[in-house]
Amino acid sequence: MPIRSWRPAVLGLALALLAVPAGAKTLVFCSEGNPESLNPQMVTTTTGMNAARPMFNNLVEFKPGSTELVPSLAESWTVSEDGRDYTFRLREGVRFQANAAFTPTRTMNADDVVFSYLRQWKEDHPFHKVSGGGYDYFKDLGMPDLLEAVERVDGRTVRFRLKRPNAPFLASMAMPFNVVHSAEYAEAMLRAGTPERVDEEPIGTGPFSFAGFQRGVAVRYRAFADHFAGRQPIEQLVFSITPNPAVRLTKLRAGECHLMAFPNPADAARIKADPALRLLQQEGLNIGYMSLNVTKKPFDDVRVRRAVSMAVDKAAIVEAVYAGAGVAAKNPIPPTLWSYNDAVRDHPYDVAAAQRLLVEAGHPGGFETELWYMPVSRPYNPNGRRMAEMIQADLAKIGVRLRLVTDDWGAYRVKLQAGDAPMALFGWTGDNGDPDNFLNVLLGCTSARPGGNNIAKWCDPSYDALVREAETSLDGDKRVALYRDAQVIAKDQAPWVPLAHSVVFMAARKEVTGFVMDPLGRHIFTGVDLTQ
Amino acid sequence: MRIRSRIALVGGIPITVAAGIAVVSWLLLAEADRARSGAALAGSIYRDVLGTITERNSYIGAVPATRAQNALRFEAFAASASIRLQALRDIAGDPGDRAVASATEVALVRYREQMRELAEATAGNDRLIAEMGARAATLIRLTDQARERQHASNADIVAQLAEGDRRLRFARDVVDHAQELRAAIQAAALHEKTVETTPAGEARAVAERGLGFAVARMRNSAGDLVRLLRDDGRGPAAEALSGMIAAYEAEIARLTAADGAPRDRGPQQRLADWAERTIKINATEYRALHEEVAQLLTYSVSAAETEQATQNIAIDSLKLGRRTAEALATRDVAEVETILGESRPLPAAVSALPISPLIQTAMVDAIGRWRDGLATTGAGLRRQNDMIAAMDAIAVDMIGKASRLNDSLARNADSIGQFVRRMLAFGAAFGLLIGAFTAYLVARSITSPLKRLQERMLRLAEEPGAGPIPEAARRDELGAMARAANFFVHELGRREGDLRRAKDRADATLLELRETQANLIQAEKLGSLGQLVAGVAHEINTPLGLALTMSTSIDGEVQRFAERGREGRITRSDLNRLVERLTEGSKLLLNNLTRAIDLVHSFKQVAADQASGETRRFEMAGWLGEVLTSLGPALRKTPHQVSVACPPDIELETYPGALAQVVTNLIMNAVTHAFPVDRAGFIELKVTQPRAGMARMTLRDDGVGIGAENRARIFDPFFTTRRDKGSTGLGLHIVYNLVTASLGGSIAVESEPGRGTTFIIDLPLSVRPAEAEAAGRAADPVAEGV
Repeated sequence: MPIRSWRPAVLGLALALLAVPAGAKTLVFCSEGNPESLNPQMVTTTTGMNAARPMFNNLVEFKPGSTELVPSLAESWTVSEDGRDYTFRLREGVRFQANAAFTPTRTMNADDVVFSYLRQWKEDHPFHKVSGGGYDYFKDLGMPDLLEAVERVDGRTVRFRLKRPNAPFLASMAMPFNVVHSAEYAEAMLRAGTPERVDEEPIGTGPFSFAGFQRGVAVRYRAFADHFAGRQPIEQLVFSITPNPAVRLTKLRAGECHLMAFPNPADAARIKADPALRLLQQEGLNIGYMSLNVTKKPFDDVRVRRAVSMAVDKAAIVEAVYAGAGVAAKNPIPPTLWSYNDAVRDHPYDVAAAQRLLVEAGHPGGFETELWYMPVSRPYNPNGRRMAEMIQADLAKIGVRLRLVTDDWGAYRVKLQAGDAPMALFGWTGDNGDPDNFLNVLLGCTSARPGGNNIAKWCDPSYDALVREAETSLDGDKRVALYRDAQVIAKDQAPWVPLAHSVVFMAARKEVTGFVMDPLGRHIFTGVDLTQ
Repeated sequence: MRIRSRIALVGGIPITVAAGIAVVSWLLLAEADRARSGAALAGSIYRDVLGTITERNSYIGAVPATRAQNALRFEAFAASASIRLQALRDIAGDPGDRAVASATEVALVRYREQMRELAEATAGNDRLIAEMGARAATLIRLTDQARERQHASNADIVAQLAEGDRRLRFARDVVDHAQELRAAIQAAALHEKTVETTPAGEARAVAERGLGFAVARMRNSAGDLVRLLRDDGRGPAAEALSGMIAAYEAEIARLTAADGAPRDRGPQQRLADWAERTIKINATEYRALHEEVAQLLTYSVSAAETEQATQNIAIDSLKLGRRTAEALATRDVAEVETILGESRPLPAAVSALPISPLIQTAMVDAIGRWRDGLATTGAGLRRQNDMIAAMDAIAVDMIGKASRLNDSLARNADSIGQFVRRMLAFGAAFGLLIGAFTAYLVARSITSPLKRLQERMLRLAEEPGAGPIPEAARRDELGAMARAANFFVHELGRREGDLRRAKDRADATLLELRETQANLIQAEKLGSLGQLVAGVAHEINTPLGLALTMSTSIDGEVQRFAERGREGRITRSDLNRLVERLTEGSKLLLNNLTRAIDLVHSFKQVAADQASGETRRFEMAGWLGEVLTSLGPALRKTPHQVSVACPPDIELETYPGALAQVVTNLIMNAVTHAFPVDRAGFIELKVTQPRAGMARMTLRDDGVGIGAENRARIFDPFFTTRRDKGSTGLGLHIVYNLVTASLGGSIAVESEPGRGTTFIIDLPLSVRPAEAEAAGRAADPVAEGV
């Protein structure tokens, strides 16, 4: 009967129409750059993670604004005595989103969880190679080596068996790369011959569904009405990609966006003074650093690395680039993170000593190299270029001539991870509140592989032993001690010049409610609303 | 059987047949009535169905606001058709018709259902169409909002650019002054070294002087920088710089004071570091600001482009909206498809355009929904069109059925009516035939004896002696008639014999009378001729007598003169007397002989006229004189006076003989009959011309007149009051005949006893001989030969 099928269509349309004027709230977030991918399994930057986050859920998640773990897709879990078996009980009736090419026929189950892990883990998985298949974060965390099995116990139960206990495992489960994809979608796309659509037009269970990505312009989302936690107050969410903080601020002031990432710290006072705006700030769980690629000469020589460390005027950088909204860093982890070793003595800013070291290292006339700087403002580095210029000026004093190099943010990251840059400005915001997330992911031997997050490609066996032990240890105190020792080694070997821990700024228009800054650098739009 | 019974039989058969026909007809007419009301119903149904179809069409074509009325009217028609169809099903006699009625009802039910669905679909489509407009409006609203925001933003960008420019200049000034300061510091350091290494003396004094200028230059440079920093609100930095300058100056003062204390390089180094750092910071800030301003400019340019792109979309949307509205209004599914096809890339285009993200999703959504709505509407329209087509098919079927029903029932009614008519005709014909046949038989049984009877009677009539009619023996009415006829014929024969004999006698008498009359008329004619001749002889006699006397007298005179001559004694006087006597005598002779000749001539003329019977043209007055002259001798024997008055110029072309006889007869009639013996009468003959082409002759006497009893008869032959005096009673009859027949005129008489008699004769001035001839031939045979 054509009529019968027609009526609901009209009804639906009418409802849709009714819904539009009432709930057509669009929240625009002026983000700082292009996500490198929309599949969280393939990103390592907070930009990428944040862009993918609204669409997905993890088994467990961090409570917004904290590092406390709460149930999400898993409503409960148990850990075996030996710390090697994690059994998750899945939430029932969780729906996946739909798009033009796919409409789910079932709710989320153990198959989806298993699929999401196996894709990253198993190299013979049909999806492993799809979209380039980097899975850097998965690898940096040593997951392939850690996992023994990911099993479907039943439709609603999944068991992870580890080869050894892993302290941050549960926190890792809350990290973006461990989101749950739809196995059914992947299968459908594989059948359709377009498996990459799984990454280009992702489908998850998150509060927002993907609506479009225009490189350099915007990522668009739509509230997912069937989200298990309920519909979002806003109808549409847009990440308006605006790399320049001044332009972001202009847009914010004009109302073209409601929220902006990382205003120029220099503008903080102006934002505070604007009655239409609200300045949000939080001491970031972050580190801005300059890596010295130990695989490239002359940085294979620890003396050169130390000389460089001593020649950089961190105070001037904090004053000029961070506008005072940050502290000079000496360790790879921020002081707010447990196991921070405040006893470590930083290399002093001492040009003469630096010159001495260089002479010792056989570089009396200095040398010439490249310094890579990020093209976008990062929470840990509001202005990479200016920072690079200042360092360029500093190092000029010890005869080191720096060519400043940059690239598109995604390519920049890839090249850094590939180990192309001799010197590079980079940084990190903790993803799970565990020191492992810094000390292992960024400096461990696992991530020193090409493509890994250890862009200094520094692999120090004694250091690595410490962090690995800490990783597998379930004893908190022991882990603190291990990490403290590791920080000493890192300082001594100076693969990085830790530059600053920043105060992270966000700016919002006054009508934005419910947005909470997150210590992990996540931009969480769940529960965010607009009042008129 | 008696004729009465037979006739009753003849009358009874048609009546019986007629009664039979009437009964059957009554039944059939009832049936025909039913059929007719069925046909009327079917006609109403046809109209109702047509009404539903019309209303449906109007419904489709109507604007949404007025559709309800069409729907209501549609329902009214449909309900009426439904009720009538049910009624028809009850009425219809033919199962075929009933089936068609049922089928029509089924079709109607489906049609109504479809109409309801169509109404729903149409309402849905109307809603969708309205929503299309709302969506287009949403798009426009969104773009307007974006533009307003952009305008506000532009102002902000200008302000920010101005601020960026200010900061840029400041950073540059700081860098410039810091570099100057750095140079001054280096110069001062150089001089300081010189002073340090120069022993006291003139040279040292020169060096110290140089150092003093270098420090002054440094101080000045630092002063500019301090002012710059203070002006920018960087008081602490300015203070710090001032402090450092002061410390360094103090150290230099210590040097020039040559207190011998160890040199403190700190103040100088700190100042130099400060300058370096300031240069580094501000130079990088300068570049950063430069970048920022460039980005802002780029953004403002791209914002303008964005606005343009947004406007373009709005315009495209408007255009599409208009086209769509038209397509929807005309239910042009093909055009809707075209628009759908054309608008397919639109969401992608809008997604790709750098329009405000605030509205981009909303716009993409609006376009998407608009397209979805359009697709749905298009599908709805297609369905609606399909529905309309389906309805049309049903309507065609339904109207066909209704029409067929109508035709069938009308035909049925017609055929029943025709059957009734035919049956009436046949029945009547049959009844008439039977009646006629019966009547024929009966009539024959009546007429053949009757005819025989008639024949006998006719024969009897022809030949009364033929003997009596044999049918008298019959026992019926004919027998009675025959007996009566026999009796009648018998009587008739007897009486007819008497009559014939009487008639034969009368005929013989009449013949004799006719002969007598003709003789009399001839005699009368001859009589009048004789009178004429007698008159003429008398008239001629007188002059001839006088001439004779005179000639005798002359003869005597001549004799006497001859004697005297012979005697020779003739004297003059004798001759003169002779001449006188001869002259007088010849004069008298001449006069009298002339008179005689005139008389003869006149007579000859009258006689010739009488005899010839030819028409002649003559002058009335003269001619009358001649006639009266010829009558003179007869009149002179009487005391009566005759006067003639006739206008001189009347000419007649007629039969003068006949007219002369008329005049003669009338005058002689008056002379003979009008006056008593002892009295002298006056007769006046006057001719007038009362009108063209006719003359009226009035003959009036002042005699005794004619009594009323006789007046009507005066022109009858042989009527006379003076038969005793020898009158024939033919004179006026002849007058009458001559006037009316020969002369083509008319005659009337006016008279009263004691007051005279007037005959008025009207004559045509010209009578054609043919007419006269014809008239003469047609006239009474009595007038023949006149």
